[in-house]
Amino acid sequence: MPTVIFQPSGRRGLVDEGTNLLDAARQLGVDIESVCGGVKVCGKCKIKIETGFFEKFGIDSRLSNLSAFLPDETDYLNEEEIADNYRLSCCAEVLGDLLVFVPEESRGAKQVVLETGKERVFNLNPAVRKYYIEMQAATLEDHRSDAERIKDALNAKYGLPRELNFDYPILRDLPTIVREAHWKVTVTVWNRQEIILVEPGLVQRSLGLAVDVGTTTVAAYLCDLHTGQVLVVDSMMNPQVRYGEDVLSRITYAMMNDDGLEKMHAAIIDGINTLARRMTEKLDLTPELILEVTLVFNTVMQHIALGIEPSHIGRSPFTAGTKEAQNIKARDLGIKVWKAANVHTLPVEAGFVGPDNVGVLIAEEPYKEPEKMRMVIDIGTNGEIDIGNAKRLLCTSCATGPALEGAQIKFGMRAAPGAIEKVRVDPETLEASYKIIGRDEWYPELKKADVKGICGSGIIDVVAELFKSGIIQKSGRFNMKLDSPRVRKGEDGRPEYVLAWADETSIGKDIAFTQGDVRAVQLAKSALYVGSRYLMEKLGAQNLDSVTLAGAFGSYIDKESAMLIGMFPDCDLDNVLAVGNAAGDGDKLALLDVGKREEAARIAREVEFVETAIEPDFQERFAAAMAFPHSTDKFPHIEHILAKVGKK
Amino acid sequence: MTPEREQELLKKLADSVVNYDEDMAREGAHEAIDEGLSPRKAIFDGLVVGMQECGRLYEIQEYFVPELLMCADAMYAGLDLLRPLLKAQGEKPRGQVVMGVVQGDVHDIGKNIVKMMFDAAGFTVHDLGRDVPLDQFVEEQLRTDSDIVALSAMMTTTMLGMRNIIKMIRERNPKAKIMIGGAPVSEQVATMFGADGYAKDATNALKDAIAMISSLKDM
Repeated sequence: MPTVIFQPSGRRGLVDEGTNLLDAARQLGVDIESVCGGVKVCGKCKIKIETGFFEKFGIDSRLSNLSAFLPDETDYLNEEEIADNYRLSCCAEVLGDLLVFVPEESRGAKQVVLETGKERVFNLNPAVRKYYIEMQAATLEDHRSDAERIKDALNAKYGLPRELNFDYPILRDLPTIVREAHWKVTVTVWNRQEIILVEPGLVQRSLGLAVDVGTTTVAAYLCDLHTGQVLVVDSMMNPQVRYGEDVLSRITYAMMNDDGLEKMHAAIIDGINTLARRMTEKLDLTPELILEVTLVFNTVMQHIALGIEPSHIGRSPFTAGTKEAQNIKARDLGIKVWKAANVHTLPVEAGFVGPDNVGVLIAEEPYKEPEKMRMVIDIGTNGEIDIGNAKRLLCTSCATGPALEGAQIKFGMRAAPGAIEKVRVDPETLEASYKIIGRDEWYPELKKADVKGICGSGIIDVVAELFKSGIIQKSGRFNMKLDSPRVRKGEDGRPEYVLAWADETSIGKDIAFTQGDVRAVQLAKSALYVGSRYLMEKLGAQNLDSVTLAGAFGSYIDKESAMLIGMFPDCDLDNVLAVGNAAGDGDKLALLDVGKREEAARIAREVEFVETAIEPDFQERFAAAMAFPHSTDKFPHIEHILAKVGKK
Repeated sequence: MTPEREQELLKKLADSVVNYDEDMAREGAHEAIDEGLSPRKAIFDGLVVGMQECGRLYEIQEYFVPELLMCADAMYAGLDLLRPLLKAQGEKPRGQVVMGVVQGDVHDIGKNIVKMMFDAAGFTVHDLGRDVPLDQFVEEQLRTDSDIVALSAMMTTTMLGMRNIIKMIRERNPKAKIMIGGAPVSEQVATMFGADGYAKDATNALKDAIAMISSLKDM
């Protein structure tokens, strides 16, 4: 078997002959960007073969140790790269020993996640509660069982139902625990139904974990169920990203590989376990102290995380295996917290509108607004839109594609250090200034910028700025008559705008925003706009009173830029609010307040799902919504900005 | 008609499509008919040439979906006037195509663009729409005895269904040509699934439609 070594991580191992390099990387635990999941259509998985005999590693790495160059690869690699031994890792099969370098731009980068949502008021009423009881010792006259004795005491002191049931593993040590504790114990009861823990003496501390499993990012909140406080916040990239970046490529991975579902299921469970361990460690505690877990995710992540066959959710009519909220024993899922802990998952609304949107709803509570027309958008690879109020609430899901998250954009990347997150273009000089994640100063004040790419909020900014300064027209087309070195034709002869010159970057080439990138953003924003218009029409709403932008990048997004490019219909900018990760907030609320779970069940049933993509005039409207901000619809609230567009 | 006038008319028809000017397309078609230009020439050397230029502009990303759809409107405006004459003259369709988006998939803009090109090129198109049950492709091909079956899928998950359709069509009618297209489809996929041709992706659908048509011309 050939040896393959990946640099800079230094991971090495033996792989079967004929394995492609992307799979080899997965097997060896190396993260290579692969937006399309290895079907040769994204070009993000570029790697470089280092040739020669490497004494240190004891291998002779040769180009001939890879399968022949495929025509597909020339679409994504330029001549210079080809001469420099670059390949697409999904196309190149291992035939012999290799040393592979994964360039910075192809590496799965560490994510920056918005972890601070807005302050929300809730009742502290968790599913898991602790009750301290003191019992009479067993005697020959009073020979009730230990379990009966506990149930009687709980009933007498706290009025809990007598039909409480012991989770089986708890029974095993019960006789020892009650006696060693001299019949003074703290009993943990779940949902007034089930006893999940009996501890000696008086114990108050009770931990719960809320996890928001996003397609790209997993965010977790370790909470004290006794005080309602969030103790630790942590996040990681979804480890399933290795198997494809969007939900469809993950479903495809499951369909194409017999053990695909199992592998991805194991990956996310392992991720959750890592988070639970890492977060409790920060408090010098152990994951066994976590007594309840709540999960939100989109419908596909739900299926994979629960190990439910996901194929059917990936195709029309997009039916979920189950829509109901679940209570599953953590041990059944392999989640390593307290052995009797339960995992609660929020319900699905319909199709792709999953538990995460339910989370957004119970956090944002648009159904409590009596009159005003509210719109809540959760922006991700799949955009979810809710519009309405207490009278009627509609939802839909839009295939926005991953462009707004940085994929499918030539120099797009996720929100990570080195990513351009804000952009301004001077309308006079057409010069760019930008801010990158991890640095406070803006370029050009910032000298050594080390830019790596551009992330979602930067992408929205740059399109809005290019439009405002007349570099791109209303139709999205570049105006090539402008006199600026930044507006040029790229290597492929297509128009582009240079955001950062090569010497400002850490990848050694100009970072440009291309005509194709503008087109990808147009497709995404048009899908969102058309979706929201359909919902407004079904509600008979002429205008929106407020717009809430949620999503992992929701609070970095510039609301003016978002409206300028027409991501949503006109609204007073003062009433447009970015709230960050509302789905994660909803998840925390469900952990801390069982009332919220009832609310979630009710709203998941009541919100009306509208399938917009099959409307007869969808194509027409979709085309009309591609212009900036729209070909015909008016935007009175930003008219003062639009009036100046393109006029120097 | 003088050759100069003919060139002028053909250019007018082509330009009307490129500039998505429906009125101009209609006007050009009327002039062509009144002045005795062959409808066949007006379509293929006028309107279709314009559509091919749109394809080129699309390919270099100057034109996008909205422009393409508007170009198509202009093309159809001219085509609606010229095509009946073609039929009246006993001109046979160039071929027949069964087309549709495979089961499980409801994204049909790419398919519509390809369809438009086949229409323009004088094919009879049997459009099955979207979310088309796999059997229906086979049945429609047999019913119409079409030369080509064109399958489209936008999602990787539904693309996998194409393999079965191709197999089923091959079993029932080994002569039919099968083409596949859509965002997730690649040459490897086409080969792996046993298709005769493929359109590289949705953004290249138009260009690929043109390529398909010219390859069919040689058949």
